[in-house]
Amino acid sequence: MNNGNILKGPLGILLLIVSAGVAIAAFAYAMMDLMAVGHRSFNTSSQMPWGQPIATYLYFALASSGLGMIAALPLVFGFKQFYPLAKRSIYLAFIILISGMAVLAMELGHVFRMLWVMPLNMQIQSAMFWMGVFYIADLLFLLWKFQKMEGKEWDSKTSRQIGIASFLAVLLASGNLALIFGMMSMRPFWFDGLMPIYFYLTAVASGLAAVVFFTYLAYGFNRSAMPAPMRAMFAGSLPRLFAAVLGGTVLFIAVRAITGLYTNNPEIYLVWRDYLFASPVYQASLWLGIVVPFVIMLIAGLRANAGIQVLVSMAVFAGLFAERYFFVVGGQVVPLFRGTWEWGLIEYTPSLTEWALTIMGSAMLFALYAAGERFLNLSAMPDDLPAASGREATA
Amino acid sequence: MTKWGMVIDLDKCTGCQACTTACAMENNTLPGENWQDVLFYHEGTYPTAKLTWLPRPCMQCENPSCVTVCPTRATYKDMDAGGIVFVDWNKCIGCKYCMIACPYGVRFYADEQPVVEPDVRDVFPGEGQLWAPPYQSPESDARRGIGIQPKGVVSKCTFCYHKVSQAPEGVADLDEDNPETKEYVPACVRTCPPKARYFGDLDNPESEVNRLIADQRGVRLRDHTGNRPQVYYLGSGADVPAYNPPSDS
Amino acid sequence: MDKANTGISRRRFLATTGTTGALTAAAVTVGLNGPRGEPAPAQAQARRPNTRITKNICAQCPARCGIDVYTTDGRVHAIYGDVGNPISNGKLCPKGHLGTYFLYDPDRFRGPMRRTNPNKGRDEDPGFVPISWDEALDIVAERLNDLRARGESHRFAHFYGRGWGPTDAGLYGDWGKLYGTPNSAIGHASMCAEGSKRAKRATDGNDSYNSYDYANTNYILNFGASFLEAFRPYNYLMQMWGKMRSKSPQTRITTIDVRMNPTMAASDRAVYIKPATDGAMALAIAHVILTEGLWDREFVGDFADGRNHFATGETISAAAQMAVTDPETGEVTTQPAEGSGFVELWTHGLVDWWNEELKDRTPEWAESITEVPASTIRAVAREFGTTRPAMAIMERGPTSHTNGTYNGMAIHALNALVGSLFAERGGMFYQMGVPYGGLPVNADDYLDDWARDGAWKEQPRIDMARTERWPMTAHMMQEAGPNHLAGDPYKLDTAMFYYTNPIWTAPNPQVWEEALKDVFIIETSPFPGETAMYADIILPDHTYLERWQDSPTYPFEGWPMTALRVPAVDPIYDTKHFGDTLIEIGKRIDGPMGEYYREIDNVENVLRHRARGFEDNPGDNGVNSFESWAEKGVWYRKPYHWHHRRGKFYEWDGEGYNIEMTEEEVKQKLLRTPSGKFEFRSGFLEQHADYIEREMGIPADRVGLIQWVEPVHTGGAGDLYFVSPKTPMHAEGRSGNIPHGIAIHQPMVGGKNTVYLEVHPDTARARGIRDGDRVRIRSDIGSIEAYCRLVPAHRRDTIVLPMEHGHWAQGRWAKGRLPGHSGDVTANVSDPISGLASYYTGKVTLERA
Repeated sequence: MNNGNILKGPLGILLLIVSAGVAIAAFAYAMMDLMAVGHRSFNTSSQMPWGQPIATYLYFALASSGLGMIAALPLVFGFKQFYPLAKRSIYLAFIILISGMAVLAMELGHVFRMLWVMPLNMQIQSAMFWMGVFYIADLLFLLWKFQKMEGKEWDSKTSRQIGIASFLAVLLASGNLALIFGMMSMRPFWFDGLMPIYFYLTAVASGLAAVVFFTYLAYGFNRSAMPAPMRAMFAGSLPRLFAAVLGGTVLFIAVRAITGLYTNNPEIYLVWRDYLFASPVYQASLWLGIVVPFVIMLIAGLRANAGIQVLVSMAVFAGLFAERYFFVVGGQVVPLFRGTWEWGLIEYTPSLTEWALTIMGSAMLFALYAAGERFLNLSAMPDDLPAASGREATA
Repeated sequence: MTKWGMVIDLDKCTGCQACTTACAMENNTLPGENWQDVLFYHEGTYPTAKLTWLPRPCMQCENPSCVTVCPTRATYKDMDAGGIVFVDWNKCIGCKYCMIACPYGVRFYADEQPVVEPDVRDVFPGEGQLWAPPYQSPESDARRGIGIQPKGVVSKCTFCYHKVSQAPEGVADLDEDNPETKEYVPACVRTCPPKARYFGDLDNPESEVNRLIADQRGVRLRDHTGNRPQVYYLGSGADVPAYNPPSDS
Repeated sequence: MDKANTGISRRRFLATTGTTGALTAAAVTVGLNGPRGEPAPAQAQARRPNTRITKNICAQCPARCGIDVYTTDGRVHAIYGDVGNPISNGKLCPKGHLGTYFLYDPDRFRGPMRRTNPNKGRDEDPGFVPISWDEALDIVAERLNDLRARGESHRFAHFYGRGWGPTDAGLYGDWGKLYGTPNSAIGHASMCAEGSKRAKRATDGNDSYNSYDYANTNYILNFGASFLEAFRPYNYLMQMWGKMRSKSPQTRITTIDVRMNPTMAASDRAVYIKPATDGAMALAIAHVILTEGLWDREFVGDFADGRNHFATGETISAAAQMAVTDPETGEVTTQPAEGSGFVELWTHGLVDWWNEELKDRTPEWAESITEVPASTIRAVAREFGTTRPAMAIMERGPTSHTNGTYNGMAIHALNALVGSLFAERGGMFYQMGVPYGGLPVNADDYLDDWARDGAWKEQPRIDMARTERWPMTAHMMQEAGPNHLAGDPYKLDTAMFYYTNPIWTAPNPQVWEEALKDVFIIETSPFPGETAMYADIILPDHTYLERWQDSPTYPFEGWPMTALRVPAVDPIYDTKHFGDTLIEIGKRIDGPMGEYYREIDNVENVLRHRARGFEDNPGDNGVNSFESWAEKGVWYRKPYHWHHRRGKFYEWDGEGYNIEMTEEEVKQKLLRTPSGKFEFRSGFLEQHADYIEREMGIPADRVGLIQWVEPVHTGGAGDLYFVSPKTPMHAEGRSGNIPHGIAIHQPMVGGKNTVYLEVHPDTARARGIRDGDRVRIRSDIGSIEAYCRLVPAHRRDTIVLPMEHGHWAQGRWAKGRLPGHSGDVTANVSDPISGLASYYTGKVTLERA
């Protein structure tokens, strides 16, 4: 089985060792800093309390949710052509969430205290409390669902129920995550009741990028090594879905930017004018990471191309990471009541320690992924996939 | 029930920052961790420029947005303590969500880079607390965020609860000019040289703070937030100008 | 540490071997029967039973606020204003609370030390090694005895900045007399605020700052006194501000300054003026007051015919007043004057002043000098002239220029014109002295031949103050370094420094860095300042929270007052009270001088003798002994004894101002000019007419007139005025090393770990400078660097750099902190009359660094 999966071989071991090594090294580096000087090793401040580690967590958490939603296409909604990525998506959703939580754990002041104070105090008014609840539920359902798939229980009643529950958990978790920002009326850049929709869309975009990239990685970026249904999917339905989701993302960013620039509220328009659009990094990530990939994916002749798909997935991967970063930081850059102590926009660039956490999370993801490819069969799909997918492939 | 409130007369305030340093020393905050801050704003150009300032403590809101976002109830409004909003350092997990949710920017995560180097935390290192200044106050109450904080928690103005809580029961005003109450007055109020600050019970119709609010038309800062501060401002200057980048001025 | 050196005390050993040593010196007992340890009565009750409150005086500026120091288990943890102290009234400025940093400054000297590196300079490590106090004092005494034996005792100089009173600076006079040096002591007054004092000396005869009745004034015309930043006593001024701004009627305040600042911002009217031209505006205000008939006739007088003959450009005449002897009784009376001449009452020289200066000093003329619109000047003059009581105040802003004294005189003349001098309510006065007891012995009884008649008596002071070079000055510290370098009048051998740091604070300090290399320097500061880095011997003082010290007040409300420092804790290091150091050195000087100091014995003894004066003059708070003084922290006795009411001066008789004073008494006690009147034509200056003509080019026959004199700006070809004000966080000499102070030092533009140069955006743009850029400020004597902030509220031709940082010593927080030190671009040029260093008159160029 999985003859084409190169990660079953020595390359997988290599990836596992290297990424585990990087993750451990990054963890050690960050840990040393945190032990020595605490969060002084971050460039965050009381004026900018949430920095790149939070953005990293947000990115990972949403990518996980996106993957959960993608998996729900076949598992909940019966879009059987997406079965070939269901199991890998569930697995990726699980490990990417674990990796994000690891980053968050290093960001919090007292991570272990959280484990007992949250259940003991039951502050149900706090979205942060529900984030804990929903993501734990999400994690558990992902695990359970994955276990069902491992047991080849694709279509049993329980499996379907778990799939539905898992999908709901994903919606609640990421929707609630959006509201953590979207409910903050004192941070007008974030304050938006439709924030969950934006998060859902971009979550799916980053999830697609992840699953496309990692699936190709498993097959050595060689589509012909893939099983036929998977090949068919990559040639047909997936790139279309990808294009549609990217289009939605572009649309959402555009309407946010237009309303943001249009308003007189300096806490919004200055973020767009003086922070986001003034930043070459933001410009690059927006155009190269989101808009250009969308355009490419619109072109039928290009979107089916394996190389293009890999490139696009990587670009979107990076573009959405930047989007998360600028989203988190952008909500805080306009000084809140700071008077002359903050003369201009609050300056923030992540410190080495903060980068170490991002690298740690990413390397952890790669390591867990390599382990998954090696020890589990992530390409598994129901044996009775309809030939329809094959038909699409030839279409 | 007592509801502690503060009144700040901006027509008398001279922007000297005595409140800031009195608070810093009373509460052993780090340099630049100004629980009580004075914010300066510029508008206009020579020869008709306008310079204003706004002293800003925690507003101890009636409807505090920081409290509901806290996932652990570490931040809480204590109605038995005159409605002061505290941080329980034994419960705080350092997620900093309350700092995001506070519209007044008066919460601090002291476990951050120093404003001034060398870092006083290295010069006066502490065990189990962020630092140990040689002048450390004998007061501490981790459940209310009083004393020197440990690492990884959020801190804020407590209206000097360690002083205020000792006040005689039912007193209408804590006036630093009254020898009977001097020691129970929050540090920033006690020291204010032009006597621009008043502290008393907003639930007591006889209190001086209520009289000032009534006679001089006290206003709350950014009342549109709905947080309903227990701090009122008199005089001109509470209409804080919106943020304006230096490049636009 | 040299363990063989047994002279080092155990306490110091503890202190230097572990930081916690400082805190374990808990139980506090001092060899005094003071009230310490007993809980203070009634109002000073601390909440914690083991918390003790001791009285003290803040030492971070000259205001002398009484403070309550809270100590629990040997640890000082809080400082608040003392409710019983009439200056602080329970309040403090932002500096006051940070006082514990002085006590616990980790960079403090921990005991006496000796230099081992003979080379001196900015980059030389002094190589200090600890020695015992006996060793240290012996080294100094041996050196001074040798110098005296060689007949060169004049080559020893004391330098001091902030003297507090009888226990420190008060000891210098006798010390110099007994030892034989004209240089005991060189004070820093000429680098402080001598301009306003000399302006008052020249006009009303009092060489002093004023006391003010702010609480009752209805108008303040403030010329460059940063009332809400650094004017003294700052804390009290803010209290008064609160009163003035909420009393009925509200005191109206007009501020004239060269830059936007909190005082300008909080005033009713902010008037920007071109630097050094305040005198011109004051003259124009005087012109308007006179031409519009707004002057106070009961103080100044009037035209004999009751009409106003002051008309722009037209002269007036004095009324001839004839003394008539009654042929029958022999009584001499003055006939009422007749005609259109002016009859002056309590002023002198108004006619000359008008005719020879003021008649052409119109607002339009002043606009051309000051850049203040004539309409503004006229409006201000009318307000000031029609609101009573009103006062015109000033400090270094107008006087820290080469024309400073004349500027100050012009401003002070406004007070005479509106009758605010000694006015019954809302007026301005001078300061009464404290009825201290005498010392146990008189220094005059301990003079040996050398002290009485030695050749040292022929020697001038090293700074040449009070000589033909600076005849109207009391001190010229800024000249001492350059004079020593030039060997003119001679070279110093040994210098002892107390509360002053001229290697850094003097204008053009680069010269001092060179000059003091070959002087044996004794430094007494507890802190490692720049001068200390040149020291050969360090004899560290206690910090103010550890020492007994009294301090008579600077002028504030006029009545006498003196506060007392009571140690809050035992000295935490091996330090010694400066007064005791001085006495101990004195004891070691050969001959009767040593005997004298053995009789004086120590500062505690001095204080006890001084306090005996209170036995017959109990304070209003009941203080009548040393013990009660220490308990209450302050002795004072209201009221001020004199005032002016409707053309007459009255003295207090114990119940009211009931004794009408004669002209002679007024001259003796209040208007101490040659004429006994307020002089618009200064007799004091006329006594030095030749000097002033030579130095300032004013014709000798005009020098007495209050007049406009063009300033001489220093700095070379600079095109921007450079001013270096103090912010409220400027704690004399130390705020650069107080982290909490640094973090909020310049709130106006957000300077929280540096102090920004404040520049108008147009000025910056013209030089390609953007907000936040690092810039270079250059004058003809040097250049410094700073980060800049664009501040549209300032004049385009004036850049502002609050003076604070740029230290190359001072401690770990201060050292090397940008911006550079403003002194490094400030030329050593002084007002020839007052001797006040012209700190704010320099011109500079600005460029991107």
